[in-house]
Amino acid sequence: MISALVPIFVLLVMLYALIRRVDVFSAFCEGATGALPLIGTILPCLAAMLIAISVFRESGAMDFVVRLLEPLCDPIGFDARLLPLVLLRPFSGSAAMAINSDIMLKYGADSKVGYLASILVGASETVFYTVALYFGAIGVKRTRFTIPVAMLATLVSVVTGVIFGNLFYR
Amino acid sequence: MMLAVGIVVMIITKGGDAALNALLSGAGEAVTLCLSMCGAYIFWMGFMGVVKKSGLMDGLSKLLSPAMRFLFPNAGEAATAISMNISANMLGMGNAATPYGIEAMRLMQKNNPKPNIATYEMCVFLCINASCLELLPSGLIALRQACGSTAPASIVLPTFLSSACATIVAVLCCKLLPQA
Repeated sequence: MISALVPIFVLLVMLYALIRRVDVFSAFCEGATGALPLIGTILPCLAAMLIAISVFRESGAMDFVVRLLEPLCDPIGFDARLLPLVLLRPFSGSAAMAINSDIMLKYGADSKVGYLASILVGASETVFYTVALYFGAIGVKRTRFTIPVAMLATLVSVVTGVIFGNLFYR
Repeated sequence: MMLAVGIVVMIITKGGDAALNALLSGAGEAVTLCLSMCGAYIFWMGFMGVVKKSGLMDGLSKLLSPAMRFLFPNAGEAATAISMNISANMLGMGNAATPYGIEAMRLMQKNNPKPNIATYEMCVFLCINASCLELLPSGLIALRQACGSTAPASIVLPTFLSSACATIVAVLCCKLLPQA
């Protein structure tokens, strides 16, 4: 049922566009033109991150860090393998994406840890990057309560992400 | 830093060959991923093109406008850019959202009496952005598919619920904080 949600959404949008007499083909092509440059900008960052992660993991350093943090995470039912993801997410979108794909390739995209990782990435934002970009663009130096509230929201999204992930995972 | 620690540990424990292998396999993984994501990206971005052209994104931002008035009572002319930014973010189009976001900030800055201190509206805008209510995380669905998921879209509902909780908390905090 839920799996049909996205295709149905796509269908509804296409039908709506047809009713509105939009040239669907050229609108599609126009949007899709942006995909290749986007992939092009993602690839170098993704490669750099995946290289670092790959070495870090293969050397056993990742296991060491995870084992070090396990005693903190286990009592609250949090998978320590998700910790690097959660810690890097507010700073870099491509780093979070790289760790997410690394987890999915290693443990399986449909594994529980892969599922949770995807939800955690989807439900939060690159807080520090966005704040720096938006305020930097207009020259505001004092951001007042932005960072504390944004980080609280991020924490909420992590906690609820794990809860809902566990609830919906099959 | 991760790279340096990894290489040092690896050369000690497993020798140089293994270290080089790990370096190259990471790069290879990135290329494979990007290639397999390419198709999905083309589809989703094409789809978003249709969404934009058919006026659905304007519709969504119009739908959001009562909420915008509640959140940003003094936003003035920035209101449109704000709702376009939030609508684009909700559809997982971060790249389309950024120009609207910067435009919104610029318009809000015009009425800012103290240009180096953020206004209340700016802070609220950033907080909502940071909690990013997510209707359709198209990029993530593409990534999951590229990683071999059989149900790449299964994350949509939990992601939406969890980001909704974060947004509610962010809005509550902002409303409790003083405007001045």
